[in-house]
Amino acid sequence: MKLSAPAWIALVGLGLATVPFFGLPAFYESFLYLIFSAIVLATSWNILSGYSGYFSFGHGAFFGAGMYTTATLTSKFEIPFLWTLPAAGIIAALLGVGVGAVVFRLRRLRGELFALLTLAVTFVLATIVLNTPIDGGQGVPLTAVTLPAILSSPSSTLYVLGLAMALLTLWIAYSIYLAKLGTGLFAIHDDEDVAEVMGVPTYRYKLIAFGLSCALAGVAGGIHAMFISYVTVGETFSIIVPLNVVLMSVLGGTRHWLGPAVGATVITALLYGFTAGDYPVAGRAAVGLILIVVILFMPEGLLGRFIPRLEGRRRKTTAATPVAAAPAPDAVQASSETLLRINGLSKAFSGVQALDGADVEVRRGEILGLVGPNGSGKSTLINMISGHFRLDSGSIVFDGVDIAGLPAHRVAQAGIARTYQIPRPFAHLSVLQNVTLPAMFGRAALGRGAAESEARYWLEFTGLAEKADALPGELNLHQRKFLELARALASRPRLLLLDEVLSGLTPAEIDHAIATIRTIRDLGATIVFVEHVMHAVMELSDRIVVLNYGKVIAEGKPEEVMRRPEVVTVYLGKPHA
Amino acid sequence: MNFPSWTLLGQSLLSGIFIGSLYGLLGLGLSLSWGMLRQINLAHFALAFLGAYLTFQLTSVGGMDPLLTLGLIAPAFFAFGVLMQWLFSRFSISPFNSLLVTFGLTVIIESLIQWIWTADYRKMDSVYGEMKFKIGSLYVPLPELLTLIIAVTLSLSTWALLRYTDLGKAMRAAAEDPQIAAAFGVNEKRLALLLSGLAATFAGVAGLCLALSYTLSPSQIYAWIGVVFAAVMIGGLGNPIGPLIAGIVIGVAEAMTMALISPAWAPLVSFSLLILVLLTRADKV
Amino acid sequence: MKLIKKLILSATGVLLGLGLQVAVAAPSGQPIKVGGTLALTGPLSATALIHKLAGEIYVEQLNKKNGLLGRPVEWILKDDQSKPDLARTLYEQLVTVDKVDLLLGPYATGNILSAVGVAQKYQKVLVHHTMGIPSLVKYDMQFPAWSVGYDPATTVTNTLLDALASTTKFPKTIAIVSSKFPSVYMMSVGMREAAKKRGIKEVLFLEWEFGNKDFGPIASRVKDANPDFIFVGAIGLEGNQLLDAMKKIDYVPPMQYFMYPAPGPLAKAPGAERAMAGSIFEQHPPFTNNPLAAEFVKIFNERATKAGLPDNAVETQAAASYSAWQVIEAAVTATKSLDDKVLAAWLKKNKVDTIQGKLRFDGPSNFGDDLLRVKQVQNGHWVVVWPKEWAAPGAKLLTQ
Repeated sequence: MKLSAPAWIALVGLGLATVPFFGLPAFYESFLYLIFSAIVLATSWNILSGYSGYFSFGHGAFFGAGMYTTATLTSKFEIPFLWTLPAAGIIAALLGVGVGAVVFRLRRLRGELFALLTLAVTFVLATIVLNTPIDGGQGVPLTAVTLPAILSSPSSTLYVLGLAMALLTLWIAYSIYLAKLGTGLFAIHDDEDVAEVMGVPTYRYKLIAFGLSCALAGVAGGIHAMFISYVTVGETFSIIVPLNVVLMSVLGGTRHWLGPAVGATVITALLYGFTAGDYPVAGRAAVGLILIVVILFMPEGLLGRFIPRLEGRRRKTTAATPVAAAPAPDAVQASSETLLRINGLSKAFSGVQALDGADVEVRRGEILGLVGPNGSGKSTLINMISGHFRLDSGSIVFDGVDIAGLPAHRVAQAGIARTYQIPRPFAHLSVLQNVTLPAMFGRAALGRGAAESEARYWLEFTGLAEKADALPGELNLHQRKFLELARALASRPRLLLLDEVLSGLTPAEIDHAIATIRTIRDLGATIVFVEHVMHAVMELSDRIVVLNYGKVIAEGKPEEVMRRPEVVTVYLGKPHA
Repeated sequence: MNFPSWTLLGQSLLSGIFIGSLYGLLGLGLSLSWGMLRQINLAHFALAFLGAYLTFQLTSVGGMDPLLTLGLIAPAFFAFGVLMQWLFSRFSISPFNSLLVTFGLTVIIESLIQWIWTADYRKMDSVYGEMKFKIGSLYVPLPELLTLIIAVTLSLSTWALLRYTDLGKAMRAAAEDPQIAAAFGVNEKRLALLLSGLAATFAGVAGLCLALSYTLSPSQIYAWIGVVFAAVMIGGLGNPIGPLIAGIVIGVAEAMTMALISPAWAPLVSFSLLILVLLTRADKV
Repeated sequence: MKLIKKLILSATGVLLGLGLQVAVAAPSGQPIKVGGTLALTGPLSATALIHKLAGEIYVEQLNKKNGLLGRPVEWILKDDQSKPDLARTLYEQLVTVDKVDLLLGPYATGNILSAVGVAQKYQKVLVHHTMGIPSLVKYDMQFPAWSVGYDPATTVTNTLLDALASTTKFPKTIAIVSSKFPSVYMMSVGMREAAKKRGIKEVLFLEWEFGNKDFGPIASRVKDANPDFIFVGAIGLEGNQLLDAMKKIDYVPPMQYFMYPAPGPLAKAPGAERAMAGSIFEQHPPFTNNPLAAEFVKIFNERATKAGLPDNAVETQAAASYSAWQVIEAAVTATKSLDDKVLAAWLKKNKVDTIQGKLRFDGPSNFGDDLLRVKQVQNGHWVVVWPKEWAAPGAKLLTQ
């Protein structure tokens, strides 16, 4: 019989819950507790850091916040131990969300900067705890706090709590892994800006993941405070805690919900294996050596190594699902009705005026060509409409709603999709997942199953059906351009912004692409496309807008506009008088 | 509270500058390999302490002049750095995995140190240990001054090397865009070996300075990580002068907190400084 | 090169040690298992080797003279890696899996509290040797072999002030500087009280976070405050670093006391002459008048040198470990029993003669007398100077 992962978790959990009744030496409970605690820490860390790629070095701070919450509440306010655990989780989560609320707003604080910032938070917190009555320097003893009996006896309480937390954490990690939240986080991992533009509310998702991650670590800290019964700053906020957590997760594999748990088990057992008193120093060196060897030969972690294509296999089995009927975007014929109106849009980048009071109008159902020399502001305009940059002044009204200043994911949800000139697929997601994501997060807002059939439809449409299970890295440029297109279409946009989809393609590929774009328009989409390939522009556009130095210098029917002297001047240089 | 005397302020300022220069010196190699090789080399600290213990051994037991020990330590460490980079490129290790591999290496080196020298404290006796001179009412101890001079010299010459020599320009190009650099005939792999060797040598030099002024114990390896990382980050990755300046800023800020407020709050100042810089700095690292 | 020679030496040392353990087996029967952990690796490992050597020597000697109750003694030593959570699990293992007969404590407050918790759970006797904060232990079958009394913050500081009062230069002003490391911070807070009661004016009180590296500003502030006496509540190399920092600005306080310094390096440090510290044992008479102590000192000195320890002298750490074993031996021998209740009952009623003096366990939490003496660096060596009956022959507290 095949069991689902939650069933496995429940089964293993039930089995382990009976351990206290076996009359095994209590040591096993204590040892398993250490593993559970490590599993909670590593897995909770992974919910933010593994899934979304925001490597936190501050997990010790949240673990410690939980420890000190329980320590303070039990010893100073005499609150029963179990009641302090939710508080430990909440305090840690508040701390995390507080940090995240500031940090996640800043685009540059990714990668190692985020890691270091969270480490700094740890040290700041340590200093505050040490110099305030929370600790004060003498440590907080919990030896006098009573431990309630859960299941068999008080001595098994910590075991049971540890087990429950480990199961809960694994279940949460698993659920997120499969949920929309997980998909969004994995997209953030690969390319946060693109994720946002595809409709992923990145800021909120990061905050939720961080909050959950911290809350779980906080509760684990609360339990651990009781386990060690004496809490000191030096031990709690040491750099070794985050190092170990990162180590466990990476060793197990950060891209799988179970990876950190595997790593936590292996490392805890390994460290414990070298506690014999005879050659402790050699034992410690052996742990270091094993670590190096494992990382060198399994850079994706144990799970990354042993079940790398598990997902792929599962996907292949479902590949037979019937493709949905043509999910036509709003079937509206070209009309004179305005879909998007841009008024006086200006944007400067450190003094350079990229857009200077541009006015553009896009009508429902038309193909609008956006042309102009390099640096004229075409790509900036696309970036502004899709919400990637904030505007300095002006307004962008889409279907009667001012979308200027909205975060990019809201713009996407409103029905604007875009492609990138240089394709930016999510590198670690399969082609199918790449296209499924916008169908889930964009205007279509479909459930996972529906989104997948939607994605298959557009893969078929763009000729990528064969590649559904491939990673984007395996595609050639032409295919990657079409992947961009498929992603944009899968969100069922009302307005499609195409940023130089044709550049870099061979003439034959260009013809194919032109045909495809025409088909898209025939399906009823409104298209704005930026292009340098002039014959495509002339062939496809209903109208064109010419930009120069951030200003609109002409607009109208293609043949007519391109004959205007000011446009000719821009393209061919000033005619000598 | 009485107003602190000018001597106290001056002496604390010096103290901050001196320890800051050691932060900077430790951060120099770290910053180079981080910024230019994309490696977060935790083992840099372990290497520095290995260097310190070797200096201790050659000086206290072998009777060498501590400065001369560099003649032995520098080439050995250079070779070690080259070997490490060879290993890293052979296995094409990602930045975060480099952190883990070098953590493993740190643990091994720590164990090696403990095995040879035990975990008990060691303090090097050297001719420089007690030398100092006086400027007005301020004392300038020679070991610390040496550290400052070494840190400034190394940082500046690395800066000059990267900025003015062809070799340095090639290194920077390779760090910026390996493919384009390769297209221009830069042997990126060789440069990486050289750079890593250089970084490890700097660790050895920092070790000498540690041995000159500090009591050694293996677990001290971890004590420097936080604040030196802060100096490297504030100073800018791959920037050869940044860590020194940032290190001194941190050192002085901490020393002033100690002199004027309470030593216990000093870490708050340095790490708040880091957080502030990270939050407000406009340019990318 | 010397280094290589040392490597070979230590390697042979390990082999020799193995050989010895096999060779000695005079007593017969099932071995009595004594279990415990030490912080053999990790941040607390600085003194671990001392405790390990002391224990090994003791067990060896015990087995040479027919073991305990005629049975050989086996020491099951594990490495808690300086982590209290690991210590707790290891003690669980020692009790429930290895089924040791007797428990010996680990090193340092946090880990000892973990061990006490386990001992309490299984109602085992636990003899421990480095508990810094007595008020934290509530269990009635734990016995401290490092006898600092129940309230060291009061007694230790008063012993020190008594010692100072014996000189002609009782301090009028005091500076107290302290690490925020729990066991020493407690002492520093105690010192504030004690000094106030004796009318000494506190001119400076400073505290730093454990792990502080820059002691320059602290030294300058002490110099600025210009106290008659400085009490350094520091542990491990912090004290040594502060001493270095003071020396670097040419400042030697008239009188200075270091709570728990690294004694070897401190005695050799410039500026340390006449510095004081606490100790329960130094290897000179009257301590070494005890033949057991004299023999232990001799063997320990050899072993410590061979093991590569920078300082081979027996002092507080080694003596505390040795005393812990003496407590175990005394109780087992007197009661001819391994029953925890019997042993505990006997220990509460009787005094045990150890190399640090007579220990009693009838005070609060089984703590007895405060035996922490005052020692001083004289001519580059530590000598106990107070109280008089434990002072080295002819030695007394010297002032500048």
